[in-house]
Parts: sequence; C-alpha cells; structure tokens
Amino acid sequence: MAKARAIVKRLKAIKNIRKITRTMELIATARFKKAMDRATEAAAYTKKISELVADLSQSASTITHPLLQAHPTEKNAVLLVLTSNRGLCGGYNSGVLKLAQRRMKEAREANQNQQVEVSGKRGISFLRFIKQPTAHAYTHFEDKTRFDEVEVLANRYIEAYIKGELDRLDVAYVRFESIARQSAVVETLLPVGQLTLASRDKVAAVAADTTAPKTEIDYEFLPSAKEILEEIVPASFKARLFKCFLDSAVSEQISRMVAMKGATENAVQIISDLTQIYNRARQSQITSELSEIIGGAAALE
Amino acid sequence: MSTTATAQNTGRVTQVIGSTFDVEFAEDKLPSLYNALKIDVENKGVHVKITGEVQQHLGGGRVRCVALGSTDGMVRGMTVSDTGAPVSVPVGKGTLGRVFNLLGEPIDGRGEVACDERWPIHRHPPRLEDLSSKTEVFETGIKVIDLLTPFVRGGKAGLFGGAGLGKTVILQELIARIASAHGGYSVFAGVGERTREGNDLWLEMQETKIGNTGRAVLEQTCMVFGQMNEPPGARLRVALSALTMAEWFRDATGSDTLLFVDNIFRFSQAGSEVSALLGRMPSAVGYQPTLGTELGELQERITSTNRGAITSVQAVYVPADDPTDPAPATAFAHLDAFIYLERRISEKGIYPAIDPLASSSRILDPQIVGDRHYAIARRVQKTLQRYRELQDIIAILGVDELSEEDKLVVHRARRLERFLSQPFLVAEVFTGKAGKITPLAESIQSFEEICDGKWDHLPEQAFMYVGGVEEAAEQAKKMAEAA
Repeated sequence: MAKARAIVKRLKAIKNIRKITRTMELIATARFKKAMDRATEAAAYTKKISELVADLSQSASTITHPLLQAHPTEKNAVLLVLTSNRGLCGGYNSGVLKLAQRRMKEAREANQNQQVEVSGKRGISFLRFIKQPTAHAYTHFEDKTRFDEVEVLANRYIEAYIKGELDRLDVAYVRFESIARQSAVVETLLPVGQLTLASRDKVAAVAADTTAPKTEIDYEFLPSAKEILEEIVPASFKARLFKCFLDSAVSEQISRMVAMKGATENAVQIISDLTQIYNRARQSQITSELSEIIGGAAALE
Repeated sequence: MSTTATAQNTGRVTQVIGSTFDVEFAEDKLPSLYNALKIDVENKGVHVKITGEVQQHLGGGRVRCVALGSTDGMVRGMTVSDTGAPVSVPVGKGTLGRVFNLLGEPIDGRGEVACDERWPIHRHPPRLEDLSSKTEVFETGIKVIDLLTPFVRGGKAGLFGGAGLGKTVILQELIARIASAHGGYSVFAGVGERTREGNDLWLEMQETKIGNTGRAVLEQTCMVFGQMNEPPGARLRVALSALTMAEWFRDATGSDTLLFVDNIFRFSQAGSEVSALLGRMPSAVGYQPTLGTELGELQERITSTNRGAITSVQAVYVPADDPTDPAPATAFAHLDAFIYLERRISEKGIYPAIDPLASSSRILDPQIVGDRHYAIARRVQKTLQRYRELQDIIAILGVDELSEEDKLVVHRARRLERFLSQPFLVAEVFTGKAGKITPLAESIQSFEEICDGKWDHLPEQAFMYVGGVEEAAEQAKKMAEAA
C-alpha cells in the first residue's frame, strides 16, 4: 500500500498545481486584453511621432538637437532591463535576461562603463545571482504602467545625455509584434539619431512600395524649427520608452497565458497517467492479497 | 550426518508429484535429512538415473525428496538406494578450468576431473570467531560503482534489477575486469539463467587472458551451471555446489576467491517451486515460508574468514521492478554493496543503468573511503536528488520557472547523469566503443570538477560513454567538428 499511498499524495499535489495554473491562465487572459488595448493605442502615436521626427530632422538638417547627436565615444552606457515582477510566465524573463547578458558582455569587451538598471523582481534576483551590480532597481512597474512614472525615468536619461554623463541607452525588453509573436530585443533609444535613421529607412521602404510621392514634404516651421525640435524630440524619446514598457506588459501576459495553458495541459496529462498507475497498483495489491488468502485457505484444507 | 553408504539400504518410490517424490524405507533404516538418494534402473527400455535429496520424514518409513534432475520416466515402485551422505562435489585445483553441474559431474566434455577430495554441499557457515573483520575497498574501474557503491574486498555485492536492465552484462563486465586482473581463483555459479549465456561466458573465458601472463581466465576459474532448463531441485542446489568449491579455495589455499552468482533470485524461485509440492503453506506473495532461512543458510556461508576471503558478486532479479518483493528484499539484507538498476535510466540509454540514489554501500563512509571521496559522492547524490525532486515541476511548468540556483542544479545533474554511463569491455561489439577502465582517483576528480561547474560549457551528449572527464571534452570537440 505504501506505493499506492505515495501516488495519491503526488496526485493531490498535481491537482492543486493544475488549479493554480488554470486560474493564472484565466487572469492572464483578462489582463492581456487590457494591456493590449493600451499598447495598440500607444503604438500608433509612437509610430507617427517617430516618423515626424525623422522627417523633420531631414528637412531641417541645419538645426540639430542634442539628443539627435551621437557622442564621439560611447564611454558611459546604461542598459535598462525590463522583466516581470511575477513568475509563471514561461520563457519570458529568461529570453530578455539572456539578451541582456550578451549586451553586458559586449559592453565589457568594448571597455564601456555600463550601468545596469532593472525593472521587475525576476530580473533583480537574476542579476543578484550572476553578481551583476545594479544602479537602479524598480518593482513598481506593473502591467498598467502610467506615463508619468516612465517620464521620471525618461527625464533623468535626457538630462544625463545632454550633460554628457550618458552616451548610450539600451533597453532590453520583449517586443510585442502580434498575439502570436513576441520577441526579446535590445533596442538603442539614445542617441535618438540611430532610431530616426532606422525609422526613416522604414518609411522610405514603405514609400518605395507604394510609390506614393510622400517622401518630399516641405515643412514650414512655426515659430521656428529649433523650438519645435526641442519639444518634439524629447517627446518622441519618451513615447518610445513608454512603448517599451507597454510592450513588455502585453508580452508578459501573453507569455503567461501560453505558459499556463501548457502547464495545465501537462498537469492534466500527468494526472491521467498517475490515476492509471494508482488504479493498477491498487488492483494488483487486492489481487495479491486475495490470492494469498485463497492460497492459504486451500493449503489448510 | 555421514553414515556409511550401504548398498543394502534401499527403498521404493511410493509417490511422484512433479519434481518431488516419496520413498518408503524400512522404519529402522531411514536416510537422514539432506542425504542423497539414487535411482539407477532400466524401466521399459528407458534408463532412469535420478538423484534426489531427502527433505522431510513423513512417518511410517516414508521420506519426501526433491529430485535434483528430471523425474521423467519415474514410476512408483522403483528401487531407490540411499548413498548415506549428502550430495558431494569434487573440490581442489583439479576443478579449475572445468564446468560442472550441481552433482559435481563435468559437463564440458573434457573427461574425468582430477580431484581426490569431495566435499558435501551442505556445510555449516564459518564460526563467529573465524570471521574476518578487515574492510578494504575493491576497485572495479567502473565510475559509478567505485564512487557511489564501492565494493568491499571479501564482501558481498548485489546487482538488483528487473528484466532486461543488464544485470548479466554488468556481472560479466565485472568478471572481465576483476577476474582478468585478479591473482586468485574465481568460481561462477549459473543459477537458472539462460544456458546460452553460460556457454558465451565459457567461450569468452577461454579467450580472455589474465593480465599479461598469457593464461586464459578459465584456467583460474571453475564454473557450475544449473540453468533454466533444469528442474527446480537442481536450481535450488547449484548455488551450494559452486559455493562449496569456492569454500575449498578459501579454506585450503587461503587465497582471495571470487564467487559470481547469476542469479540468486532463481534460487529463491526454485525453493518456492518445490515448497508447495513439499506440502508447506505458501507465505507472502506465494513464496515459501522458509524463504529467509533458505537464503540465510546460503548467504551466511559466503563470507571471508581469517584464512581467506570470498568476494562475491550476485545478480538478483527484481520481479515486476518491485524491490519490495520478498525475494529481493530478503537478499538485500545480506549484502555489503547494493546496486539497483533502474528502468527509467535504461530507457534514457544510459548504461550501466545504475540508480545512483537507490544504490548504496556499507563502506561509503568517510572512515573507510576518506573524506574527499565521501563528500563528493554525497554531493553527486544531492545534485541528482534535487533534480529528481524538481522533475514534476519541470514536467508541468517547464524549466524556465525554476530559480537560477535550481536551473544550475538541473544543468549539472543532467551532465552527471550522463557521465555515470561508461563503455564496457564486454559490450564493445555492441557499442563499437572501447571499454574504459577509470581509476578511482580520476573518477573522484572528474565528478568534483563537474559539480564545481568546470565543465558546464560542454554539451550533455559529450558526457555519454566516456572514461574521465577530459575525454568528455575531447568528445565535445569531435561533435563540434562533425556538426
């Protein structure tokens, strides 16, 4: 009976796990919808403002903004790693952290003075494990990140970049591409110039496809190009940064949904296997006891 | 026990039940228990030659016997003569290089055995005061055995495992490793296993040479077979015959003797087959009520004395992979080193499929193997134990949900698990890999380095079937080149 009882114990434990994973799956589904609405809303704005900056900086090439200028040396870099506060979300965190680790290694090899900032308890504990000191650690960014919370960070980076204390900002996060596709990426947000180049290429590619005469737009700057850039370049950067947070929130919920769905299915499978083993163990025990009793009785006759 | 044999003391068969039979003697001439009785008559043109052993006195001059050969052709009324003594087997150096059945008759077709002495197969175990108390490690060159379940020189080791897990292969490997490097004598008992295996072993022993002396292992070995084709009586007594020959080497020459038994479970099984026929009430799971006694009488004789040592390795079949079955459970208590073969491991293709957590040894003790060996063995077990605990979580949630510490444990445990495999000398023809003998010091060093994470960068597959860990590194390089 020892064996059968051990199986019952395991069976109970796995049934409890299944309850938890199923609940997590439902919660993740609900949260994912909300997070996705926010992300898609922000996506349109971010895209447009990036295009705008690209176009503007192209048209007004004589005037520049300090955020658009790459510093001659990349001495001081910051890597911001966005992870989740909670686990049970499959490979979500390990994907980001693997990429972040690679970037850290690159920075070390290039002799950069890189500071690592991290959001999310999972990332914090991982960095502690690999003994990587962190300059800042945040745990307050949940799946409903507010713009003003991110703005605080963004302002700090802008200030440091203009002062020359910061030469490069990378963000490691999971980009939300579609419901079926999220991928961990490391994106360089500062200097903004790299971003504008990239999005200008994209715009050019789109333009080439549609053959629309869209590329040449003459802008009139009012009150002046400088003032407009002063306003719009930081805004674009903030929007980009905010987008990273929103994307990672959506991706987290999707990962969790998928992971918990798989986990529930696995648990169901194990439960059915164990039930079968248990029944067999119980039956074989009954059979052997019966045959012993019958054998004993027969021997007495 | 030994009354002089008289041709006059004869009886008649009164009943034949399977492999047991009853004989009636004159009331005052009853043969003693364990005496051998012989039938050697012509009946309807069939020559019947059977030896039996007295098991019970039924009263009224009747004795109940177990037949030590087939009872085919036996009829009631046949004349039975009492030999006046238990079955005896030839002992001495003349037995070396020969193959016997349980009655001590050579079955290798090489003529008479040159032996002056015969010993009865029923003997007393050595006295308490004669028992040797030395404890010394017996190195085998098999990593997992040397590290986790070190054998004792002059001790007993058991190989437990279900059907088809490689008990016989490990046993033959041990013969190839130990006997070929061993200066003393070896005795092999084939108890109820495949006859073919016995033949293979015999041929192989003729070819294998001892060290570089150029002499075949067989010249220092004697073999006794009572295989599957034999009736239960033969399988019940063949282990005793082999043991008696080994005892002679121990007592008369004082040399270190090796005794290999494949498979001790068949001894218990044979006992259970005749038990009901002898009229005993079956006990747990249908075994004979005297299971413990029978096995104890055998096992207690396999020991080392102050005069000489018997180191024994026994294969034990585990029915239905259930180690709580009475037969293996009883055998377990007698052993110094306990090796358990696990189906889950053999399913992964890792051979020898030794379960590093269920197997144990009496001498895995810092006092005997030393602190370093002990500490590393425990570390390996701890890592594998943690991995096993995590297996349910991994199965449900996936490896990503583990903490970083646990991920590292899993990472190393998977490598350790594979590193416990080893190419065998006797399996060269199957695996195409040369057998590897890994010295104990190298095994310890290798396992320590894996536990320390020095080889974390190698792929898991590189750890399969290598000797020392440096070979794993080489294998990884080769794999990288091939890819």
